[in-house]
Amino acid sequence: MTKWDKILIILVLLLSLIGIYFVKNYSTTTGEKYVSVQVDGKEIKKVSFGANMVGKTIDIETEFGYNKIEIGEERVRVIEADCPDKLDVKQGWISSQGEIIVCLPNRMIVEIKSDKNSIDEIDHISY
Amino acid sequence: MKRLKKLIFLSLLVSLGLALSIIESMIPIPILLPGMKLGLANIVCLISLVLFGYKEAFVIAILRSIVFALATGSFSGLAYSLSGAILSTLAMTIVFRYYSRYFSLIGVSIFGAIFHNAGQLLAASLIMENLKIFSYFPFMTLLSLFTGYFVGLGSRLTSKNMKKIMRET
Repeated sequence: MTKWDKILIILVLLLSLIGIYFVKNYSTTTGEKYVSVQVDGKEIKKVSFGANMVGKTIDIETEFGYNKIEIGEERVRVIEADCPDKLDVKQGWISSQGEIIVCLPNRMIVEIKSDKNSIDEIDHISY
Repeated sequence: MKRLKKLIFLSLLVSLGLALSIIESMIPIPILLPGMKLGLANIVCLISLVLFGYKEAFVIAILRSIVFALATGSFSGLAYSLSGAILSTLAMTIVFRYYSRYFSLIGVSIFGAIFHNAGQLLAASLIMENLKIFSYFPFMTLLSLFTGYFVGLGSRLTSKNMKKIMRET
């Protein structure tokens, strides 16, 4: 363990903490939220939250696999999946804007988006 | 005869890496991040980098990814593990060859772990066409500090003994 090893560890620690802080900040901006389900990069479903939607389940069946998502009160989760590790089911509820549930084997992303897309636009320009 | 010995050592390292990958996929990890692993197979890659050189390290990293996909049948993960393995071996090679007076094997292995995550996220964002996956990156780098530290420690101890074995045989 050299001096530079310690510097590296401290630097990475600081940078990732700053990164986590920004990711958290980014995901808590307010707006009219909705659920966006994307498979293989294309948005296939948009579901908005509402009192009549609580407890509803939606089947997502594509050529890559099968997932079932449940809409809750301003939140969403995956309750069934045919992927081997079921990480998306274990992740549980997501509720704030920018949070995502990813199911890599089925190429599916459940994302909470907001109608105010100004943040998204800045994101595109900076890349 | 020397060629044969090297061949046997390399194939032993590949099978060791395969065994470590299978064992680590059985260890449950309480933190929920997609693709979160201990990275034990990186020990093998690092050892071959120290004992043989960067060419052999690349061969071992790529072979291990392919053999792991063949052994477990999870071919959807092959793209992720291949890009992660190639990028991490590249980073470790550069750090080990040119900056090894600054960094010990622990530093090299932390670099490898970070770039392994970067490679996997890059492949995932290319396949899913969504750059938002990179929001996992700071969480992963934080965790790769711990896994990288212990992988580096393990490979330092192992390569010390391996060098002795190679001299004796």
